[in-house]
Amino acid sequence: MSVDAAALRSARGETRAAPTAARRGQRSRLASIGLHGALVTASAVAVFPILWVLVTSFKPDTRAVSPTPRLLDESTVDNYVDVLSGARGDFLAWFGNSVTIAGLSTLVGVFVSATTGYAVSRFRFPGRRGLMLTFLVTQMFPFAVLIVPLHNILLALGLLGQPLGLVLVYCTTTVPFCTLMLREHFDAVPTDIDEAGRVDGLSPFGVFWRLVLPLARPGLAVTAFYSFLTAWGEVAFASAFLSVADDSKTLSVGLQVFVQQNRAEWGHLAAASVLVALPAVVVFYLVQRFLVGGLTGGAVKG
Amino acid sequence: MAEVAYVNASRVFPGTPPVRAVDNLELSVADGEFLVLVGPSGSGKSTALRMLAGLEDVDEGAITIGGKDVTNTPPKGRDIAMVFQSYALYPHMTVAENMGFALKLRGVPKAEIREKVAEAARMLDLTRYLDRKPKALSGGQRQRVAMGRAIVREPSVFLMDEPLSNLDAKLRVETRANIAALQQRLGTTTIYVTHDQVEAMTMGHRVAVLKDGILQQCASPRELYDRPANAFVASFIGSPAMNLKTVPLTPEGARLDGLVVPLSRSALDGAAAEGLSEVTFGIRPESLRLAAADEAGMTMTVELVEELGADAYVYGSVRIGEQSERFIVRVDGRTPPALGQQVEVTVRDADEVHLFHPGTGLRLTA
Amino acid sequence: MRTFLARHWYAYAMALPVVVVVGVLVLLPLAQGLYFTFTDINEANIANPALERRASYEFVGLDNYVKVLTRGESYGAFWSTLARTLIWTSGCVLAHYCLGLGLALLLNRPMRFRGLYRVLLILPWAVPPFISVFAWRYLFNSQFGVVNQALDGLGLPTPVWLGQSDLALLSVMVINIWLGVPFMMVTLLGGLQSIPGELYEAAEMDGATAWQRFRDVTLPGLRSVSSTLVLLGVIWTFNLFHVIFLTTGQNPHTRILVTYAFERFFSGGTRDYAVASTYGALILSLLLVFVTIYRRATRRQGEVW
Ligand SMILES: Nc1ncnc2c1ncn2[C@@H]1O[C@H](COP(=O)(O)OP(=O)(O)O)[C@@H](O)[C@H]1O
Ligand SMILES: [Mg+2]
Repeated sequence: MSVDAAALRSARGETRAAPTAARRGQRSRLASIGLHGALVTASAVAVFPILWVLVTSFKPDTRAVSPTPRLLDESTVDNYVDVLSGARGDFLAWFGNSVTIAGLSTLVGVFVSATTGYAVSRFRFPGRRGLMLTFLVTQMFPFAVLIVPLHNILLALGLLGQPLGLVLVYCTTTVPFCTLMLREHFDAVPTDIDEAGRVDGLSPFGVFWRLVLPLARPGLAVTAFYSFLTAWGEVAFASAFLSVADDSKTLSVGLQVFVQQNRAEWGHLAAASVLVALPAVVVFYLVQRFLVGGLTGGAVKG
Repeated sequence: MAEVAYVNASRVFPGTPPVRAVDNLELSVADGEFLVLVGPSGSGKSTALRMLAGLEDVDEGAITIGGKDVTNTPPKGRDIAMVFQSYALYPHMTVAENMGFALKLRGVPKAEIREKVAEAARMLDLTRYLDRKPKALSGGQRQRVAMGRAIVREPSVFLMDEPLSNLDAKLRVETRANIAALQQRLGTTTIYVTHDQVEAMTMGHRVAVLKDGILQQCASPRELYDRPANAFVASFIGSPAMNLKTVPLTPEGARLDGLVVPLSRSALDGAAAEGLSEVTFGIRPESLRLAAADEAGMTMTVELVEELGADAYVYGSVRIGEQSERFIVRVDGRTPPALGQQVEVTVRDADEVHLFHPGTGLRLTA
Repeated sequence: MRTFLARHWYAYAMALPVVVVVGVLVLLPLAQGLYFTFTDINEANIANPALERRASYEFVGLDNYVKVLTRGESYGAFWSTLARTLIWTSGCVLAHYCLGLGLALLLNRPMRFRGLYRVLLILPWAVPPFISVFAWRYLFNSQFGVVNQALDGLGLPTPVWLGQSDLALLSVMVINIWLGVPFMMVTLLGGLQSIPGELYEAAEMDGATAWQRFRDVTLPGLRSVSSTLVLLGVIWTFNLFHVIFLTTGQNPHTRILVTYAFERFFSGGTRDYAVASTYGALILSLLLVFVTIYRRATRRQGEVW
């Protein structure tokens, strides 16, 4: 967690200036209470469902759903043991598949979005506007309904049942937004930098790789986060395009075994969920300090 | 080391109508020369420089560096270094990395890079800042880093696009001298763009004046000042600007109010050959003086006195024909006339008069 | 032509991978999907290599469109579903935007624990949605869900939230709002931080009240971010099926256009691809109309797209 400088400064300012009249930019006590009250409430709402999953993950299935819920109720780590030991399916294999597929989707998606975003940001080539509009249109069709034609195409390309096929499908869903966002980040890098690089001896691709990409790091972090999450939690395509063998499922597909008709095994599901959410939260933690500076570039113009 | 030449080079920006930002530029720069490109904003100076750098296409004509045609060579193949107006330092690299980047790209060994960077840093007084990122530097320091980045490369040509315009006035004067001295020491061919004619006059071995993409004149500062090729150059070079007025010709010379300035025979013949009854008459403020009591002069009403210590500039209006014209006269700073006073002004030396064609603006006196 | 290529080849080389991938994996399926809307394709007549069966679906012209638009319930009650979709989309996007902006404004001032709040508030975005949805399903459970327990404790009635009533729509909207606010908040926070502080100072010098500063400095400063966000938000929410699908399944009270397409697609032995695609095409046309109007309305404020 980052304790940012501004917070520190204001904290110090408050103690020093307490006895004198309100200084510029200082809040009254009431406003301060209101501000923190609102944020605490919002944070509680944001965190509560997640916290509940965490608590439930330690309870046996029978206790997880009870008319009188208690915070700790015969809590054990049995659920985790069950899930990890593969009693209900090859959790570790699913996990590995998910990491591979989400990781690859992120890499490929961010890379091609970056090259495209750079081309759109820097070069005035014919078809540039058309490309951006096409991206927008691709977001409009309920893509999931295209499973049949997609199925046919993947089959024709020999990618059906292959992780790579799924990776490409995920990229098509994330690339439009990522491109848009990265393009705005690149727009924020002055073209003088590019030119200085060209004069210093870089090729156009070198300028992109060694100067513009490093300068757009926050944007990369955010798009990576977005791409990763999209691929990590997706169910429909994953169940349609991966082979049915248990050890080639992704986590989100595999976890569906805990949600049988009308008889969800809440405890196990919760434990598995925590295990699934954990990598996402780790990725999130790694990029969160970029998020605020990072999504800025996204969509911000002028 | 290399000489540089623009051979009828043009850059036409597409649009309606297309903009000829640089129009048929014919200019050669000798090896080791410090050439300044000067002109008002939008005159195509940056474009000309960027064409030489390979950052802008050359639509017509050619550009050579060291006798080699580089018209279609990408920037990296031209062996040039450039200092940008914004400095364009790489924000994610330290000062040392910024300066050494080009060498690193060329595969120069690390130790050698470090040595060269250290040397350049010493020259520019940057040694203490080598490990800082650009954002932790002052404007002047950033400017020096930008210079350092160019120097370290040891290129055959330096290009500088208004490198001083982001500095405060005092630092600008200081850095001006430093750059000139540095160029002298390194002896590298340098092309320097500025809109500031004082910079141009003080720094350049030769100065090329651009207007609307067209080269007006390229000459030494002295020549430019003493013999401007046309009315534009005359008005652009020099501060305060030359007095330029359209005045009627008489058989003896040019008539300004009560004063008839005698013109040389050749000038009068030239004007007559062109069939002119009027000329654009130019005279610098320092070539005018207050007339003695018994001398003929033009009557000027003083409107503003700008005192600069040793000298003072007097701004006032004179009736020429039907109109009232503004004139600037340099006078002794100790005895300036008072506001609203009427003074008689005369010409110091008739040889210091410049005559231009009132239509084309071209210089008339041979 | 040669100079054309020489000038632009770099741009094309960099955009090419995306163009190829998008072309092959989006536009091609899209074209095929649009073609399906004019056929009677379903699971029974599609080509099936495993059974060595050849495709036997037929061209039926505008039949699917006519059925969808006129047949009512047996084809998903298009018009009432459309109305519900509009409620869902406008409700969610409006709430996303307002809550996101509110939180962003709160977070955009120096204070203690700012970093902590930020992390906690973004958390719903970090957890994969199907997990959050399961958590919410439990919270909304009519017997032992926390929501009803709380209501009970306050002596209020405890309705069946996810049952066969419009409360189910409200519930899924709440869930989706919870899921979507962090993204809006973070993006708007970025937008807020890109508004130069001098503008606020200048406004203060001019004697603007806090509300006037918000209206005349903050909102205009966010205009371009906002117009992109709202545009994407509408498109995404309109086509968002997983929240509803995972929460209430095929409950007709939470049916929106895209979930019905999905229902047709996945449910029953028939798997009616033709009708599912027809729904897809209708959604596409509706969104195209929306985007056209939207762009015209926002063009004055500087073009984003
Ligand atoms: N990329 C461009 N596209 C169109 N016109 C341009 C472009 N760059 C410069 N121009 C035009 O070319 C002319 C010269 O510009 P420039 O070389 O930047 O002038 P300056 O002498 O101030 O450096 C100006 O009229 C400018 O508007
Ligand atoms: Mg310029």
